[in-house]
Amino acid sequence: MIARILAAATALLLTGCATVFTPPQTAALLDKPPQDLPARVERSAVPFFAQTRDHCGPAALATALADVGLPADPDRLADAVFLPSRSGTLQLEMLGGARRQGAVATQLPGELEALLREVAAGHAVIVLQNLGLALIPRWHYAVVVGYDLGTHEIILRSGTTQREVMALRTFEYTWARGGRWAITALPPRQLPATAREAEAQDAAVGFERAAPPAQAALAYEALLARWPGNLLAGIGLGNTRFAAGDMVGARTAFQAAAERHDSAVAWINLARLRLDAGDRNGARTAAENAIKRADVSEPAWRDAARATLAATNEH
Amino acid sequence: MNKARRILSSILIASLVFSSMAQAAPTALISTEQAAAAMQAAPRSEAHAKLQAALDRDDLATMLQARGVSVDELRARVNALTDAEAQQMLEQIDQAPAGSSDVLGVLFTVFVILLVTDILGLTKVFPFTRSVR
Repeated sequence: MIARILAAATALLLTGCATVFTPPQTAALLDKPPQDLPARVERSAVPFFAQTRDHCGPAALATALADVGLPADPDRLADAVFLPSRSGTLQLEMLGGARRQGAVATQLPGELEALLREVAAGHAVIVLQNLGLALIPRWHYAVVVGYDLGTHEIILRSGTTQREVMALRTFEYTWARGGRWAITALPPRQLPATAREAEAQDAAVGFERAAPPAQAALAYEALLARWPGNLLAGIGLGNTRFAAGDMVGARTAFQAAAERHDSAVAWINLARLRLDAGDRNGARTAAENAIKRADVSEPAWRDAARATLAATNEH
Repeated sequence: MNKARRILSSILIASLVFSSMAQAAPTALISTEQAAAAMQAAPRSEAHAKLQAALDRDDLATMLQARGVSVDELRARVNALTDAEAQQMLEQIDQAPAGSSDVLGVLFTVFVILLVTDILGLTKVFPFTRSVR
């Protein structure tokens, strides 16, 4: 008898939850779907790697990498990102692992709409979910490949399930408990549709650290194409082109950044490259600009600017 | 004899000239991360150096290997972090319970466990049941 009452109460509570407690982003999204967002998208062609044991991190990463045609072998990725003692993969290592496979890993804004927009733009989105409770977490990585605003559903490549259909509100709960963490792993020429400038910049700088310079240069080019006023992208472009052996391209990049931003770093690097190329007068002009700028507003580069000017007079 | 001396001296001169040129060559470019660090007034990649230095410890290596993590792999992972991320990791060390004489334990914690407790996320797979919509 008591059991039956309890069951009835639970059922009431559950239906109550389902109708009353829809998480905020899902509610907002379903209430007023953005005009330019397709109502239904499913990217059926996204490959699927069934995870083995606790390897959902490597499997999710492999899914995203294979989707853009990058090398994706979950077993090899497991060596790169999996922590055997913890039966899992850390978020930082997901970023690092993607970079080392030649993908720029960019963190997305923690908004449900951003995830759906990426899917609509044809990008696979890796998400971290906490399938348990905040106190007893069950962490899980999955890849968003589709959604249907009409049926309030989201479609995932998840664990051993090739096509996991989950209620949007359930997904938001599990995703919010995971810290609303979502990334795309894309080739350097492509930028996620919804990434903000700061995250895109961090992604490119991180990529430069792990990727071949010629590839990293492409990432900076893409960054500059969307945010032409990004100084660090200009400096990164110069540095990666230089590292890739493209001296002319490197000088062009530093010159553009120096002239646009009057940046001491850009002037200094430009001066050093001009000196390398035997253009002593040009180097001196750039070094003088660097000193002027450093004295006025970038004191951190005073010494470097003076050393560069000294080098132009040395030999 | 005279000819041999002349050849030798020209070789010496040439090598001296080249070596002085090598020294006078402009110093390396300022890296993107250095530029970024200066812009954000954040510490340079000392963080990387410190993390890598910690991995030099034999006792830590033994401990990590016992848990199935190879030090080389961990080095590569540290290397793939940006300065900001490495700094974040290093801050975990500083925030470790103070007064611990167990340096090894702290380092181990940082490399393996603290990253996790900071909701950086480890994974565990549980079959997920679809909930009532």
